[in-house]
Amino acid sequence: MPGTRRWLLLRAGGVLFVLWASATITFFALRLVPGDPAEAILGGPGSQAGPEALEQVRREYGLDRPLAVQYLTYLGRLVSGDLGQSYSLHKPVATAIGEQLGATLTLAVCALALAWVLACALAAWSVRGGRVAWAIGSGLELVAAAVPHFWLATVLILLFSTTLGILPPVSVPGPLGVVLPALTLAVPLAGFLGQVMRESLLTAMESPFVTTARARGESEVRIFWRHTLRHAAIPAVGLSGWAFGSLISGAVVVEAVFARQGLGRSLLSAVQLRDVTLVTGIVLVVALAYTVMTLVTDVADRLVDPRTRAVAR
Amino acid sequence: MPSRRFTRPRAAAVVVAAAALLLAACTSGGTSPGQESAEPVAGGTLTYASGDAEPSCLDPHVGGNYPQALIATQYLESLVSLDEDGEVVPWLATEWSESDDGMAWEFRLRDDVTFTDGTPFDAEAVAANIAHVQDPATASSTGYLALAKIQEVVAVEDHLVRLELSAPDSALLESLSQVWVAMESPKALERSQEENCAAPVGTGPFVVDRWDRQESVTLVRNDGYTSPPADVEVPEGATLPYLDGIVWRFIPDSASRYAALQSGEVQVIDNAQPDTIVSAGDDQAIVELDAPRPGASNRIELNSGKAPFDDERVREAFIRSVDVEAGIESLFFGTAERSYSPLSSVEPLGLSEPDLFTVDTDAAARLLDEAGWTERDDEGYRVKAGERLTLDFPVSTNQSIPAEQSLFEQVQADAKTAGFEVRLHPLDLSSWYGALAENDYDLVSAPYTKVGPDVLRILYHSDSITPAPSGYFANLAQVDDPELDDLLTRAAATSRDDERASLYEQAQRIILDGSYILPLYDQQNHFLHSSSVHGLRAMPTVSTPTFAGAWLAS
Repeated sequence: MPGTRRWLLLRAGGVLFVLWASATITFFALRLVPGDPAEAILGGPGSQAGPEALEQVRREYGLDRPLAVQYLTYLGRLVSGDLGQSYSLHKPVATAIGEQLGATLTLAVCALALAWVLACALAAWSVRGGRVAWAIGSGLELVAAAVPHFWLATVLILLFSTTLGILPPVSVPGPLGVVLPALTLAVPLAGFLGQVMRESLLTAMESPFVTTARARGESEVRIFWRHTLRHAAIPAVGLSGWAFGSLISGAVVVEAVFARQGLGRSLLSAVQLRDVTLVTGIVLVVALAYTVMTLVTDVADRLVDPRTRAVAR
Repeated sequence: MPSRRFTRPRAAAVVVAAAALLLAACTSGGTSPGQESAEPVAGGTLTYASGDAEPSCLDPHVGGNYPQALIATQYLESLVSLDEDGEVVPWLATEWSESDDGMAWEFRLRDDVTFTDGTPFDAEAVAANIAHVQDPATASSTGYLALAKIQEVVAVEDHLVRLELSAPDSALLESLSQVWVAMESPKALERSQEENCAAPVGTGPFVVDRWDRQESVTLVRNDGYTSPPADVEVPEGATLPYLDGIVWRFIPDSASRYAALQSGEVQVIDNAQPDTIVSAGDDQAIVELDAPRPGASNRIELNSGKAPFDDERVREAFIRSVDVEAGIESLFFGTAERSYSPLSSVEPLGLSEPDLFTVDTDAAARLLDEAGWTERDDEGYRVKAGERLTLDFPVSTNQSIPAEQSLFEQVQADAKTAGFEVRLHPLDLSSWYGALAENDYDLVSAPYTKVGPDVLRILYHSDSITPAPSGYFANLAQVDDPELDDLLTRAAATSRDDERASLYEQAQRIILDGSYILPLYDQQNHFLHSSSVHGLRAMPTVSTPTFAGAWLAS
């Protein structure tokens, strides 16, 4: 299939372009914001740096060279696979990311799974419950999708930790610590997934195959799980790449509120400290994961559904 | 139609798993309040939750900010300390003397102290530490300034060290009491900065065991601890510290931090916000520790270096038109006391002048008329020669807590009535530094923590108007007064206590009378802890809590 190879090559090129663009935009965006990275490197609040110390820091990190030179040096290093040294953490960016990546991935996977559970459960319930349940279900999805993470996190802490005392308000080792953070990320995502599913659920329910199933005497629950849900889930599955991106951005808030390790929190402090190498490193990793996930979904789609192949050509 | 191969819905399995997880959660209980006991109990691990940013380096020589001071107080110790009255007391140095011309100091050192890596503490160690702070490669800022006048360090004997200065320094002992210049093992300092930042080695009650970034720093008991400061009384038969260890966590969100304290997940939190302190007041199981920071008070600086505040009348008019008192009362719920001094209330030499800050809108209006701001535009703002009376106020959202930011909004509203247009610019730290470097401000509030009144020289001597290469300068009010410069220089050089007190009093009077600053309150530093924690105290130096004598009721 030469068409497929060409398509794959194009897509791979697209991935590289996205990575280059995100590195470049991040690099310059951070430099456009006023403020001196050298000052931030030397301690930030409550500490005032002497001129010698600042000079030393500028020399050490190459901040005294022209911006274009700094950029090209940076790109050159990236191409050779070196993410550079984080000046806010006093360690290599790759090491810093490696330490935090696992926690964020765990959180994202748990949240994604939980979001699917919530979305499916709500859909199953509202499909069975008739017109009123349908309206309630779609109303809940709308609210869930609109709820901001920081607000939800606070409410969940108040409810499950302060009032009921059954879950820790901040992350603790073990599975208990991930429950509230994952739930915080999962609820809005479940709202989105549910909304997308609901549309196709509606069309699926009126499809001939559902009528056939009913005619065979299958129960409504069975019809939902076996037929309509599968049909309705396809567009929502396609959203997985997007969902991953949204989970990472949500992690910035959630990891801070629940004092959890993770890339989101690293990103937040790196931006505040103007740690350009660390910020670009994290952005690259996230962009890579995002594009790879989209690519995988597309490839899967192409293999499964011949219609998309025709379109891609 | 897609493939007909069909697996049983995996979603169902996930539902079951989630339910199991929730059930498991239900079985874990809360904590019961500890039994009160008067005798210190040894053992136990305490969890501390800091709301400050996680330090990028645990060695406070590097950089040098307050979050580093908080944690380093647990494993590093200084040559001298202060007692509760602000008197200098022995710590790693047992006695000291100043030469007649004030150009040299000799410190007699304890000869029975070793660093936790086994290196003995001696005169060479002191020399190595001062050299480390002064080495530009260390990139020290706070410590570097504190030791700026030390020119040479001589190890006279094994446990006698002489510091030779470039100029007399009346603040030397106060400077040396700060944890930013604490003593670290010279052997450990020889490691790479990356290694030393991850686990500095000192003589303190605890030792850095491990550091999981963005999670916690684990501190364990120093079993060979022998060197508490002279003002600490160790009960007979007891060995400090009582605790087996401390888990030092970073919980940036104030509500989560308090929830973690309430649920017993942590035992001590810092950066308690006014609403939290009030709500904790109703809780028998939670105790407050209020430890205002030394150095400067929190104050709004009026930039006298450019129009319109280059006119003293306009500065006074501004100060007379804003009712800070009412704002503090309503926003801080009685947790912060109004200050009328450039210095913190813990500084014995602070001068307070409440009369200069009474609200008088009539006087303000008269002063503005005199200064030529006679007209008002259709929005009610004062105008002179077609220019509106506008004040730019960059606010650091990292340094100003929400209550303080609200206070600035009230200041803005009050000033509007008088005809000032205050433009608040909430900025992140680096942008905020940037605005200051560009001289793009008329009002600003910047904290400054330092032990002793010498902080006045850093903040108000005209030398500090000259920006460092970074553009940063500490004299944000841009006070340029030769008489004040002279007072501050002489105060820093004198070795007579009474003369020093009088010089600093005169200096503060000039700063207050000149309407350069609007003092608000002390730098707030509130801690909340579980009532099961005993023996916790704040160091009288930089007000960081120390767990050397702390114990957990079982």
